[in-house]
Amino acid sequence: MEQKEIKELVHSILSETRVFDGYVIVRAQSRREWSMRISNGRFERVSTGADSGLGVQAFTKNGATGFATSDILAEGIGQKLVEKAIQLACRNEAIGTKLNLRIWNAPQVQAEETNPAQKVFGEIPLLELEEMVMTLHARLRDAFQEGVWQTSYRQVEEVWCIGRTDGTNVSFVIPRAVLMHQGTVRDQGKAQSTLIHRSGMDASVLFEELADHVLERKALDRAGFARAVCGAPQLPSGHYPLIIDYGLAKGLAHEAFGHAVESDHLNESVLGEAGKLRKGLRVARPGVNIIDGPLPGDWAYQPYSANGLLRQTVTIVQDGVLEAGLGDIFSAEEAGMPVTGAGRAESYGHIPLPRMSNIRLLVDRMLPLTPAGHLMDEVKAVRETLLQHGELIEGEKNLLLLGYRGGQVNPKTGDFVFQCDGIIDVADSDLPIYQPSIFSGKILSALEAIRGGLGEGCYDAIGTCGKGGQSVASSGGSHRYLLMDADQQVSLGGEHG
Amino acid sequence: MKLVALLEDFLYQSQHAPKKEELCLADWRILVNESEAVSLGIKDNSPGSVYTPPSYRQGESGEVFLVWADGKCSQAMVQLGSHDEREYWQQELEQWRQASYEDPDAAHIPSPEPLPLVAVEDQAIKRIITGDDQILFDQVRLWLTDKPVNAKLQGSIQTAWGHRHVRTSTGLAVTYQQSQFVAWFSFDSLIGGGFAKRRLSRPEEQEALWVRTLSFFEAMQTGAPPVGLQTQVILAPSMTEDMLGQFILPNFSGDRVLEGQGAFPKESFLENKLVFHPHFSLLIDPLRPLELGSYLITPEGVPANRTVLVRDGKLQTPFLRVKDSVRWGTKPTALPQGTAGLYLKHQAEVPWVKALQGVEDGVLVLSVLGLHTQEAVSGSYSLSAPHSLRIIKGQIVGKTDVKLTGNFFADLAAPTTKAAYSDLDPHPYLMITTGVQTL
Repeated sequence: MEQKEIKELVHSILSETRVFDGYVIVRAQSRREWSMRISNGRFERVSTGADSGLGVQAFTKNGATGFATSDILAEGIGQKLVEKAIQLACRNEAIGTKLNLRIWNAPQVQAEETNPAQKVFGEIPLLELEEMVMTLHARLRDAFQEGVWQTSYRQVEEVWCIGRTDGTNVSFVIPRAVLMHQGTVRDQGKAQSTLIHRSGMDASVLFEELADHVLERKALDRAGFARAVCGAPQLPSGHYPLIIDYGLAKGLAHEAFGHAVESDHLNESVLGEAGKLRKGLRVARPGVNIIDGPLPGDWAYQPYSANGLLRQTVTIVQDGVLEAGLGDIFSAEEAGMPVTGAGRAESYGHIPLPRMSNIRLLVDRMLPLTPAGHLMDEVKAVRETLLQHGELIEGEKNLLLLGYRGGQVNPKTGDFVFQCDGIIDVADSDLPIYQPSIFSGKILSALEAIRGGLGEGCYDAIGTCGKGGQSVASSGGSHRYLLMDADQQVSLGGEHG
Repeated sequence: MKLVALLEDFLYQSQHAPKKEELCLADWRILVNESEAVSLGIKDNSPGSVYTPPSYRQGESGEVFLVWADGKCSQAMVQLGSHDEREYWQQELEQWRQASYEDPDAAHIPSPEPLPLVAVEDQAIKRIITGDDQILFDQVRLWLTDKPVNAKLQGSIQTAWGHRHVRTSTGLAVTYQQSQFVAWFSFDSLIGGGFAKRRLSRPEEQEALWVRTLSFFEAMQTGAPPVGLQTQVILAPSMTEDMLGQFILPNFSGDRVLEGQGAFPKESFLENKLVFHPHFSLLIDPLRPLELGSYLITPEGVPANRTVLVRDGKLQTPFLRVKDSVRWGTKPTALPQGTAGLYLKHQAEVPWVKALQGVEDGVLVLSVLGLHTQEAVSGSYSLSAPHSLRIIKGQIVGKTDVKLTGNFFADLAAPTTKAAYSDLDPHPYLMITTGVQTL
């Protein structure tokens, strides 16, 4: 179903709810996806699919909620869902749920955003996409024959429409595409894998890659690094001065700080006190900033919240001080922060939660770094820049953590862990490589340890946020590298020290 | 018209009387799931909060796998949606044709075989779905009444019931009912317990789970002496399950083994190489009544059977979907549903209560941070486990924060590793000797 049809459907369903003395939010979504995977030169899967449906969230006049969804986009079904959601809301009120009337305060919004894709879904035929992906895969296999390679490509188009009792009707299109290479290499009887990606809004990522082969070069470099990691020793666990790449920095910003300032989490967050954001708290050195907001063309772009509010760009930390949080209409006020349109949902079938879009961690004190064509050249450039600025301490390890494999944080306790692909000691002119080990500690200590940035901002570190059991696109980044002092509350795992 | 009936008719026509020559099907397979679900949650002691309201969900969707007359394959996700017109499906067929690719190993639709008898449906869950759902609200009320006074309770109850349909061009036509019940709760988002089966939990199971979780939570309020180099690490059943999911599942997936992306090469399976201690066996058993991982037939139309992946420490087979089995040269195996249906057995398992008494110096790890970031192929882990429970002389004495460093394959191969079972869990407590230090 197209954007205009969905918009009319939502309007029509809502117009039948006028007699209800509560409040109704209708979310409609239509989604198309094409994906393919090639393994060792052969297509393993080419899949097409479409998914659409309606979600209705009803509120009694006192603020109790009920929710009903169906995967049929049709007016008759919409009416049934409204009835069901109202019935569940009434049941909920009877069990003494915490009432929430905030939605009545939401501003009315009317918007119909055009599709921002340069190449709309289906413009490039599937067969042509298959040929392009196979060409890229074959080049990579030829260039690194010792590795086992999988190449995947996925493109998605989501059409959303959110309507509310107050007359709000917001519709927008989210296009998304990603090309990924996954390699497995073996050396000295050990195996390591590496995964890299190039993302954007549409099939342009394939055309760009065919033109410049940036991802291929990265894949080759990372495969070489993974092979070196196979036989690398482990580091003794301990506290070290660290340099983390922008993928890890995005992980730190997302997992450690973004989640801790989401308005539904303030009761269980180290950045909350008595359920309110600890605004004004110094959490980092002066010059450190954390910003979240949608970027056009980005993997996690979403211009409006799933509650029909404009998504705002928020400076969470400014000059080292906690300034703001990510607030949705339902919990922002209680959490002591403004509503910033932060509600996002995986689909029509999920309840929106406050969550990030593109989060970046930036520092005022930035050392220049010219990006190099190859990984180890860049690592050498990092070492030279640090030496030039007196940033390497004689006789002490200074560890560069490469590649973000994911992480996890307990926002209540502030404990975090992140994993990387491998480690290089840039204080040693031989640039010795070590096995990856867990980067863990307390989030406030980690932020306090940031002392500078190296290189310009890179914000295309992508991922999928799993908060609340939903899978929502996320992204972000930082300077090409972030410099962190050694801290007793931030450690690397590894062997016993 | 039901989606499965619509697709079956449409694909049959496309096989026997195609509208266009190039859209002629040689074979096809349909999987459709029709489901209804009701759920209710608790957030920060509030039942049915704005983020966890009572919810009703209904859906009818699935996937088709097609083999065209020229041997190419296609697969697609399908949904009833508002599309019951033939014209829509004809357009879809043309798009599926566009998406076709060559994969001779996959172009194989199994012939029908006798199905096993497996209980996968609880009528009590159907009654909840059809309106008799007071039990959910009562359960939530009970949790809130019984919770520790100062604890923040989070929780969720989800029930689902529906039909699963599998149809193939080789004559398979199976429809059966299945149900699911998942309930979990946690105190202060630190200590939790959960239940997941194809049936409702019994009062005695709920009680035992609550009592155990509460005892852990109470122990967590007291500090405990730090661990030492000799401290034994005990993975709680949910941790064992997580480790199996992270390190075992991907390395026993047939496609990964065949592509050289697993920890164990194909030859090691063919040679029945000893990789774990002979006390350990690993199997997929979809025949157990009303377990979450139980089923009658796979999405590809293969009847459920029991498959041993590791017997007495020796590799037997990875789990094989139809395509992988063709490449392997054998029959398809049972398939796990996530970690559900996967069972790790130890020949000398003892009850957890007895095992605990024998622990002189140990730490019980209930959860870790960042397990999903670990390298599955190597089996190595480097994890932090804040909020673990210290065990001294057979008693849980309090909370401690630890860091673990080791290798899960080495843990399963070590003669020092032991296992203990509890009736509450499908997976064992694993008692291992690994790198442990204070966090």
